Amino acid sequence: MNEPMIVIDSICKTYHLKTRPEPVRALDNVSNHVDRGEVVVVIGPSGSGKSTLLRSLNALQSVDSGRIVIDGIEVTNKKTDINKLRAEVGMVFQHFNLFQHKTALENIVMPQMIVAKRTREEAEDIANDLLQKVGIPDRANNYPSMLSGGQQQRVAIARSLAMKPKVMLFDEATSALDPETVGGVLELMRDLALGGMTMAVVTHEMGFAREAADRVIFMDEGAIIEENTPANFFDDPQTDRAQNFLRQIL
Amino acid sequence: MDLIADKISIIQSLWPTMLKGLWMTFQVSMLAILLGSLIGFTLGVAKTLGYFVLEKLINGYLHILRGSPYLVQLYIIYFVLPSTGIAWLSFDSYTAAVVSLSLYTSSYVTEIVASAIVAVPSGQSEAARSVGMTRAQTYRNVVIPQALKLTIPPMASVYVIVIKSTAILSVIGFAELTRAGEIAIMRMPGDIMFIYCMIAAFYFMYCYPVLRFSKWAEGRFGSAGQIEH
Repeated sequence: MNEPMIVIDSICKTYHLKTRPEPVRALDNVSNHVDRGEVVVVIGPSGSGKSTLLRSLNALQSVDSGRIVIDGIEVTNKKTDINKLRAEVGMVFQHFNLFQHKTALENIVMPQMIVAKRTREEAEDIANDLLQKVGIPDRANNYPSMLSGGQQQRVAIARSLAMKPKVMLFDEATSALDPETVGGVLELMRDLALGGMTMAVVTHEMGFAREAADRVIFMDEGAIIEENTPANFFDDPQTDRAQNFLRQIL
Repeated sequence: MDLIADKISIIQSLWPTMLKGLWMTFQVSMLAILLGSLIGFTLGVAKTLGYFVLEKLINGYLHILRGSPYLVQLYIIYFVLPSTGIAWLSFDSYTAAVVSLSLYTSSYVTEIVASAIVAVPSGQSEAARSVGMTRAQTYRNVVIPQALKLTIPPMASVYVIVIKSTAILSVIGFAELTRAGEIAIMRMPGDIMFIYCMIAAFYFMYCYPVLRFSKWAEGRFGSAGQIEH
């Protein structure tokens, strides 16, 4: 089992906007990989392409050229059953995206019943178990509008985990949270990492990158500028752009 | 006083025919709303699927129906279609009324449904697709339920428009409320003002509960989206 879980091979994505004369290179020949059980954190200034990269992994974002392979299945191949793939790739969004018309429990139960075809009893057992694990077992019957941001994000994480994914993608999962609640969610993510989950995390939380990442990737203008272990990257950035970026945020 | 007794006797004598007229108005408006909503819902969903040709066709349909007066559409369906000689297109006034009003209603409902679907935040369908739901499952379980809540306020307005549009059916001799009132006026030309007031009052009896009900439905089912943190 030494094939990487995620393989990204020379992907490009260009936008042609009416508002700009030159096309925008959101992804400029990006190649990388994520091994099984590895936690890769992607950082960079806004517009660097990190969210575009993450979203291309589960095909929420299409790419113009290149290949993406997750556990042997080619995401970029039109013939792939993308729904089946997405059931094994969990995604947590910056704005939670909980189903507003369903309770917390229903949010976690519904995908299980519809996609994984589990029975309601099975799905509810798993859901309640996960709500316990993420720390909000008493919120099962609340609607998202009655939950705080941190609670909503926990439900969102539980919803993804209920599908028993091979990979978890986090797209700035704490960027919309109050500073006090950020820590709690990051701890949850760290526990997941320690549990051996393969994770790709886009974040601005450098503390998390330092503590939980196996590898840090720095992106700018659609390309990977530098990548290293957290210790090496934060203590001794090699490129000018990485140094500038770190100077600004740390 | 004499005046009031006189008016009361007018109301008493006209009440049965007006009520029958209101009943016909109710029937046609109900049918038109039901059929029009069915057609409109289907077209509204179809419009948002992202198929260019389908969208253009539906837009063309909308342009025709929204760009011409309902009266003209009614004339075409009741007078022009039968002259083509095709048997099943020769509608009687009741059928012409229901068909034309349903089409007219569907043009409103299509836009309302399409707008509501588009108004559901894209994050909702992204989350649904991310857990592995197909497009159809996403629509059915996540997008449409939330979109339907958004249609409640504008649908109430459409319903009232439909009810009032039934008055136009009087020109094809259809025995709805306005026609009943006009026949009464022919019998009692001196009381024309009062009878028109009666007609308006009857419409009000129908429209006001509809608007009250929609306000309740709005509160009960939630209208313009939930508050996101």
